[in-house]
Amino acid sequence: MAVAIVAAVSGHGSVAGAHDAIDARPRAVDPSEAAYTYGVGAFRPEYTPPAPGTYALPPIATISDHPLLDDKGTPTRLFDVVGGRIAVIAFVYTTCTEAAGCPVSFAVLHGLDRALAADRALARRVRLITISFDPERDTPARMASTRQLHRPRSDWRFVTTRDETALAPLLADFDQPVAKLRYTDGTWTGLFRHVLKVFLVDREHRVRNVYSTGFLNPALVLNDAKTVLLAAGE
Amino acid sequence: MDRGTLAFVLGLGIVLAVAGAGGAHADETCMSPYMPKITGQEDYVYVWTLGIEGVGDGSDKLVTIGANPANAATYGKVVSAVSVGGRHEAHHAGFSDDRRHLWAGGLDDSLIWVFDLAADPAHPKVVRTIDGFVKESGGVVGPHTYFALPGRMLITGLSNEQDKGGKTAVVEYNNDGKFVQTVWLPKDAEYGYDARVQPRLNRMLTSSFTGWNNYMRDLGDLMGDAEAMKHFGNTVVVWDFHARKPIQTLAVPGAPLEIRWALQPRHNYAFTSSALIAKIWLVEQKEDGTFAATAVADVGEPKQQPLLPVDISLSADDRYLFLDTFMDGSCRVYDVADPHHPKLLVTQKIGAQVNMVSETWDGKRVYFTSSLLAHWDKKGKDGEQFLKAYGWDGKRLTPLFSVDFLQEKLGRPHIMHFGQERFYKNQIYAAAPGPLARAERER
Repeated sequence: MAVAIVAAVSGHGSVAGAHDAIDARPRAVDPSEAAYTYGVGAFRPEYTPPAPGTYALPPIATISDHPLLDDKGTPTRLFDVVGGRIAVIAFVYTTCTEAAGCPVSFAVLHGLDRALAADRALARRVRLITISFDPERDTPARMASTRQLHRPRSDWRFVTTRDETALAPLLADFDQPVAKLRYTDGTWTGLFRHVLKVFLVDREHRVRNVYSTGFLNPALVLNDAKTVLLAAGE
Repeated sequence: MDRGTLAFVLGLGIVLAVAGAGGAHADETCMSPYMPKITGQEDYVYVWTLGIEGVGDGSDKLVTIGANPANAATYGKVVSAVSVGGRHEAHHAGFSDDRRHLWAGGLDDSLIWVFDLAADPAHPKVVRTIDGFVKESGGVVGPHTYFALPGRMLITGLSNEQDKGGKTAVVEYNNDGKFVQTVWLPKDAEYGYDARVQPRLNRMLTSSFTGWNNYMRDLGDLMGDAEAMKHFGNTVVVWDFHARKPIQTLAVPGAPLEIRWALQPRHNYAFTSSALIAKIWLVEQKEDGTFAATAVADVGEPKQQPLLPVDISLSADDRYLFLDTFMDGSCRVYDVADPHHPKLLVTQKIGAQVNMVSETWDGKRVYFTSSLLAHWDKKGKDGEQFLKAYGWDGKRLTPLFSVDFLQEKLGRPHIMHFGQERFYKNQIYAAAPGPLARAERER
């Protein structure tokens, strides 16, 4: 229930949007209501992931290129950010307070960043990318400050989109639906309903695995990245 | 986000990852743990229903039943019914990872329909039909369990195109309905039925039933055919789920059907029941990491057989196991707090026949439907077709409402899943602020 309490008191999201102005301090959220909203569980991995190259990761889908803004506000494109590497792509919003949501994503990518930093050969082949689905509040400056706080040791990129028009096709392409969570009077709570997803994308822009809380084990993601590289003969 | 917040966020994620959320963060009691759950009052029960010739339009359909007593106009009533045209042996269904879509299939011709629930949860609509399952999967027949994975749907088969026997596979599609892969069950355990994953352990269990030749045959006729009765599954397979590799085959004779993992932390076990020899099985991880299957209870007395145990449902706290027996139309509720020694608490007659049982996450309501398979259902006056809702207080099942699917000209009701208006409307409700919120407001 800590999730709901944190949501109630955090006061994040004071930047009002054109269509969805929110209170600087959202009203309290009934914890029992939050329970089903944020129902996806976190799981402590109690296993050793299978060794790289001992299993297959068949392509699940192929993604297209999309316009983005880097953390300096410079227009760029997804494929340019990927830069010909294998990519671990996470969709988040930085004001997320869902304990089993974006904070887990940040924590796992933070761990992956440190692991990549310790393996320079792998770091040259794998790029971490965090993309915000909250362009209203997650401005390039906000993404830059988030990046600064994480102090990446690998080439971890933090990007956002110009607006919801640019965002929508990107989310649809990745099958990452998000929805603004509203009170019954229609006002936005400042929260999003979303299922945490992190994507492993190969050099041909094919999704090779999708991780949610149950799967988002840093050791597993690393082994998957190595498996994709091995399958490609690298 | 300041540095303190970052530390909190990272710490929170790490704490959660280490602590394990267990039951409080698992899904409704028998569905994929990867998707959002509805823990409160459900507004609808979606019932995947087999058509009956001469009953209504005679087609398979998704029926939506009102289930919220706060809405007297729809409570216990048919809200909508969406026919898919024709009879396909409608059987099981499952939500996508975000719960926006419900995948439902036919065991006879292996067609699959994807219903959109999010746009109007009271009136689901078919948005996609997958008609290439057999070809795309390389010959798998009889899509049974629909188990949501992130971005994908894992589907177990029951049979195969070549001989319509029990040899089958596990098939995956992405959420757009595109085929991803087929993994055939191992040679020493070729039959399939249910599949359930415990992500905490990276283990999947699959159970085993029978092929098209048997499940599409009249039950009385089948049970009189000794040779055909040999062609039922006798195994549960333990998989390295991430690698999709079978690592252990457990002997579980008598067609083990539904698999229900325990939901609480450190409960590294699952239950299943064998239909043909009427036993409850505990599939438990041992200290060395391998699994063992043990028969922990006989269902009913020998003189009562065959009872044909069918669906089971395990409560969110791992305390109660609901088990339906088709032949006597009863639900048996076991106290499984000690999973090695289930204690029978209640035997409740539900109807002349009963098959599926679905318990709500809060454990307060239990729903039953009557149909097993079109050719296995009872005939004549015992061929009742219903959905019945009961309240559960830990001691007794109390009738809440009943819907007669024949009187309503709907058909044979099979699997049930829950829907909720608030969930699909992305609503959340404000409440009286707690101490922290009050302090924040006063600050």
